[in-house]
Amino acid sequence: MVVRDARALVNGPALGPVGWGLVILPVALLVGALCVALAAWAAWFVAADRAVVLRQLWGGAVVEAVLVVQGVIAAAVLATGDHDVDAALFWGYVVVQLIVLPIAAAWAFAERTRWSSVVLLVAALTTGFLEYRLWQIWGVS
Amino acid sequence: MTKVAPTRPTGSGPGRLLVAVYGILALAATARGIYQVATKLSDAPVAYLLSLFSGVVYILATIALATDRRRLAWVTVLVELVGVLVVGTLSVVDVGEFPDETVWSGFGAGYGYIPLVLPFLGLLWLWRTGHRAPDDVAAADSTDDDGAATVG
Repeated sequence: MVVRDARALVNGPALGPVGWGLVILPVALLVGALCVALAAWAAWFVAADRAVVLRQLWGGAVVEAVLVVQGVIAAAVLATGDHDVDAALFWGYVVVQLIVLPIAAAWAFAERTRWSSVVLLVAALTTGFLEYRLWQIWGVS
Repeated sequence: MTKVAPTRPTGSGPGRLLVAVYGILALAATARGIYQVATKLSDAPVAYLLSLFSGVVYILATIALATDRRRLAWVTVLVELVGVLVVGTLSVVDVGEFPDETVWSGFGAGYGYIPLVLPFLGLLWLWRTGHRAPDDVAAADSTDDDGAATVG
């Protein structure tokens, strides 16, 4: 901790974690909004007693695409310069976050009842929550 | 495995939700455990190995529930119940550096108490699916363990 702070001090006021956080912020907000939208869509299907439909999986694919873009941006940012982000923790969350929705999608094919919608709902909320945690890891450290 | 009594598969219908939540916890606990063991094992070896252990238990419980391995499901869910109660209690009474950073610490407070609620739901579900309604028995006695083994 102390060492990191000293390092940040030495390297001067170049765009620090907080500055880069602002670069990431729009992406994080987009992911959050998409996850909430997907969750609401799934919740609607739960209420209507319907199974997940393919169109919702395309919605999930859009979220995944944004997540990949986010990962590329994050990798680029972390590769260029000195950052206080705990890389192992950050990439751990990135990987877990990428996995959740595809699993729910696979589920949608296996369970053709409203319960697939419940699972998609949970997966979308989890992905959104992980985005929040990612944001914390990015900003706080 | 066990001789098939008339039971409902644990991984279908509402069980899907249970398996999904178990799966997410398995991911969360395992990822956290690996991270802790890989980066700072010497800080609190007991807590971090416990973290990894809880992840493995959740993985096994997820697989067991998803593939209708009832005995494994009972064992893992019970281990998990004991784990969250013991670790939760120890973390509240604060025994030194013990488990301040596991899924089970504070009875799962860091995970919305889901780790505390889940084993009870798991046991309830295992119990419920273990008693198939009489008219279901006649309709679906062709299922056996071979089908379960091929899943996933």
